[in-house]
Amino acid sequence: MLGLVVALVVNALLLAALGANPVTAYSTILSAALGSVAGLAQTLNRTTPLLLGASAVAFAMRAGYVNLGIDGQIYAGAILATGVAFLLDGWPAVVLLPVVLLAGLVGGGLLASIPAWLRATRGINELFVTVMLNFVALFLAEYLATGPWTDPVAGEAITVPISAAADLPRLLPGGGHAGILLALPVAVGLSLWLARTRSGFEFRAAGSNPLAAGFGGVRLVRIGVVALVVAGALGGLAGAIEVTGVHSRLLTGLTPNFGYMAVLIAVLARRSPVATIPVAFAFAVLIVGADSLQRSVGLPPSAVLLFQAVVVVSILAFETARGRRLVARLVQATRRSPGRRRAGGVA
Amino acid sequence: MDFLLDLVDADMLRTTLVVATPLLLAALGELLLERVGLLNLAIEGMVGVGAAMGFCVVFVAGRTVPTVLLAIAAAALSAILIGVVFGWLTLHLQANQITVGLALLILGLGASSLLYRGVVGVTTTPPSIGTLPLWRIPGLSEIPYLGRVLFQHDLFVYVGLSTLLPVWWVLHRTPLGLRLRAVGESPKAVDALGLPLARLRWSALVAGCALIGIAGSFFPLSLVGGYSDDIASGRGWLALMLVIFGRWRPWTIAAGALLFAYVEALQFQFGVTSKAIPPQFLRMLPYVLAIIVLVRVYGRAQAPAALTKPYDRESRF
Amino acid sequence: MAEPARAGDVAVEMAGIAKSFGDVHALDDVTFRVAPGEVHGLLGENGAGKTTLMNVLTGLYLADRGDVALHGQHVDLRTPSDAVGHGVGMVHQHFELVQAFSALENILLGAVTATWSMDTASHRERIADLADHYGFTVDLDTRVADMEVGDQQKVEILRILYAGADILVLDEPTTHLTPAEVDHLFASVRELAAEGLAVVLIAHKLHEVFAVCDRVTVLRHGRLAGSLDVAAAAHADVVAMMMGDDATMVEARAKTCDIGEDEVLSLRGVTATGGAVDVHLHDLDLQVHRGEFVGIAGVAGNGQRELMELLAGLRPITTGRMHASGVDVTHARVDERIRAGVAVLPGDRMREGVLPASPLYETYALGRHLLHDHFSPHDLQDQARDMIARFDVRTSGPTAPTASLSGGNIQKVLVARALDVSEHAGGGAMVVMNPTSGLDVGAAAFVHDQLVRTCEAGGGVLLISEDLDELLALCDRVVVLSHGRLAGQQVAGDYDRLVLGDLMVAAHG
Repeated sequence: MLGLVVALVVNALLLAALGANPVTAYSTILSAALGSVAGLAQTLNRTTPLLLGASAVAFAMRAGYVNLGIDGQIYAGAILATGVAFLLDGWPAVVLLPVVLLAGLVGGGLLASIPAWLRATRGINELFVTVMLNFVALFLAEYLATGPWTDPVAGEAITVPISAAADLPRLLPGGGHAGILLALPVAVGLSLWLARTRSGFEFRAAGSNPLAAGFGGVRLVRIGVVALVVAGALGGLAGAIEVTGVHSRLLTGLTPNFGYMAVLIAVLARRSPVATIPVAFAFAVLIVGADSLQRSVGLPPSAVLLFQAVVVVSILAFETARGRRLVARLVQATRRSPGRRRAGGVA
Repeated sequence: MDFLLDLVDADMLRTTLVVATPLLLAALGELLLERVGLLNLAIEGMVGVGAAMGFCVVFVAGRTVPTVLLAIAAAALSAILIGVVFGWLTLHLQANQITVGLALLILGLGASSLLYRGVVGVTTTPPSIGTLPLWRIPGLSEIPYLGRVLFQHDLFVYVGLSTLLPVWWVLHRTPLGLRLRAVGESPKAVDALGLPLARLRWSALVAGCALIGIAGSFFPLSLVGGYSDDIASGRGWLALMLVIFGRWRPWTIAAGALLFAYVEALQFQFGVTSKAIPPQFLRMLPYVLAIIVLVRVYGRAQAPAALTKPYDRESRF
Repeated sequence: MAEPARAGDVAVEMAGIAKSFGDVHALDDVTFRVAPGEVHGLLGENGAGKTTLMNVLTGLYLADRGDVALHGQHVDLRTPSDAVGHGVGMVHQHFELVQAFSALENILLGAVTATWSMDTASHRERIADLADHYGFTVDLDTRVADMEVGDQQKVEILRILYAGADILVLDEPTTHLTPAEVDHLFASVRELAAEGLAVVLIAHKLHEVFAVCDRVTVLRHGRLAGSLDVAAAAHADVVAMMMGDDATMVEARAKTCDIGEDEVLSLRGVTATGGAVDVHLHDLDLQVHRGEFVGIAGVAGNGQRELMELLAGLRPITTGRMHASGVDVTHARVDERIRAGVAVLPGDRMREGVLPASPLYETYALGRHLLHDHFSPHDLQDQARDMIARFDVRTSGPTAPTASLSGGNIQKVLVARALDVSEHAGGGAMVVMNPTSGLDVGAAAFVHDQLVRTCEAGGGVLLISEDLDELLALCDRVVVLSHGRLAGQQVAGDYDRLVLGDLMVAAHG
């Protein structure tokens, strides 16, 4: 909590340093992201990939695995979803949309099966492999968007649109799509599974102390594979939703660092998938709000990255034992100092 | 046969050295950190901040010798600033290195972009500051082939590549290096010997971050002459992989930097001469290579034993 | 190295030392004096405060109260570097060497004060001379990680001597040594004392104190029990000091059950040669019957860990068969063996036993979670609540974080967990490794009681322990593990420590 306050103060100072009135800026952010139906639609659209990504990352983290590859998995899911949509062009929406979303799951899962396989058979740290694959998937998407699937009219890395039958239904005016209705149950379901089932218990045991879990009959290798592939598949689903819900095509720039944000959200949510819901929503508010700051105050959209990082760093700092002690001392000091001032006044 | 000749083309080998410079600098910086037990996942962000800072200083103050030096110093300082936050959180507060590293990675990406926009504003065509002039070493640069490859670079490349020597010498030939390496292996042993654990870690942290920041400033000053948000495009991450590839030893890291740079230089070469391979696949190569390297090297690699592990003297476990 | 001893000089003088961890008084008003040229034994049971006292002397812990004077000068030892600066060096039980460094690098690390340059060649020469002089000969260029324990100890001592220490503390230095190595070490220690160094030897074996020490100080429950000249003391005096009022001789426990015919655990011709760096296990033939209590004795590092992992199912069996209560489990996974009633209590309870950040009931559930068809967190909590009441575990409840419990209470939970696995199979096999290390007397007695009860209830116990006293007190049969092979056995009633000791250190052939 205190970390959040510190973060807001630091961000306010940052805003002031950039020449914006912090109060105006904060209220601009809030009204842009939440003040209208269209704004809310945008916020929910941004929440969807963040929520899917963050709950996937949190899920894998519970088993002790760090998946930094959500960005790549988003591209992989988007690529396969787009490809399937092209292939099945003309199929009715009832069939096409589920198949395309499923393709997204498979695409992300396939990409994530590389680090999963390397971890299971060779013990190679998944963290580095997932990062490297981000670039591989990005370049593959760029190749498809500028090569075989390119829209020659557009003149940039963008494919021709997919069949309208594969578009996600709209939920809200202003482009709000139904993806959030998929993401929310995923986050809740993952948390329930972790808390209530035998496999979920084994998952958490493996993440808490793999050595002890191994002695307790937990099959660590299998859990590692499940953790990474499921997380990758959810990243892929996020990619398919971006294609079918937002862009109707594959393009580069599909994910402005959603993957790294997803990791930060998962950390802030203390690795609980269900707790990523409010955090992902808050991050989405910041993103949408910062977009409008660009128009009103002239802040670049990337400023939002800085704000998010400040929030995370502050909260991380005050979550450590020493950080808490530091806060306790500061609180004590501020309580004592007015007392001294009063005493001085009497003298 | 033309194809084979292309592989040893003088211009391409020359490009290899140029591309290797920032990779090597960043990897050596990361090496210093990892040798004292710090895994710095923020490296990509630090490289970005160094690049933005380097560009902005020259953009504002003009391109003269003192301003370029100032730009490099500013790039180093900005990366050190992020490093100080990293050190405070991980060493003092003992927060998790991986999460802090990722948060600061994001911070670096945001800060570099913001800095650039703040200084340059929104423009339709990105401004250029031009790259550093080449310094042809008299005599040596006249040697056919070798002269073109080795002795026609700007000063940044010469100095950057030769950073290998002091880093190697300090780490492996001095008592200081012995202590630094011991910190990464067993902070407990270092502490029990009464050596200044915190000071050793902080000095390696500051020096390492400086190198990483300087590596970032290389892109606008020496390679591109401009700035864009994806200027580092994963080179920070590749530097991180190079440290593993080099098994935490300076000379093998340098060899790795040359190998990765060569693969990257291939792109430029084949991008020009061949249309058969889409450029995106060539650009994938370093990252695919990194994964292959990881598979080949990982099991046998000797990472510093205390990497990412927090140390608390009174901990009873 | 050190100044020659002067009569009446005192190298170490610690007075009124007190140190608490939370509400545990580790040290209370302890006084301790060592003269130069003296080998001083520091005796006491586990947890008596020996290591804590020495950690105060070496600056690792800050005493709550009391004074330390070295060579007559009052000193303030706030950090390890203060202690090193005053010439105090300690050889820890787990050597504080950098494993990835060579012997030479380790020694230089502690000795070279310059920053930028060192004359490695001349250092090497002087270190070699020092090593020769005291008989600590080792290859200076070998990586410590590749050295035998005895050689690592030599490197550690050399490093401390080379750094100029004149007060040397050895923390239970003989634990992992063979008798020949112990003799060698003691000869070197006498040589060091003869040249004026003050040597403190933390020990828990009486005969070692009598073999090498001039004086002995005994601690009991964190307090000073007394200090004697060894030459003038009798064994019985020192034992009386160590044990105080709770002196009870080790005595075989009366078991009220018979050993059955059925095997709850059996290994026939089992060999495990996987893994490159560990001890390989060869030709193990071992049966534990219903109601039988079998012990595995041996010097640490002779395959105990590997045997435990093999039985648990974490180390593949290359050849041979393993059965649990008649079921072939040779290639069964850990979970399958747990269902077959093989309950393993690992040797390192914090690292291998618990989920530190999880609630207690989840630590208790681990492994047991496989036993019932229905999985319900609610039931697991109820079961933990019952267990807490039955075994008198001191905790705020089943949802308390596991790490908040003391070591003794954690071990109770882990024992209860293994008991449940064994009972679920109608009397399975309990495999227990060093179950009482680091526990106080009460907790250790509790663990022993539970193991005996398992036998009485029709299960079988395999106790792998480095503590021979524990094995002889409890077991029907003690088998010696040496170099990954079973070297021989003795049956209760015929126990002979010397014979067992010989088996433990015999070279395999």
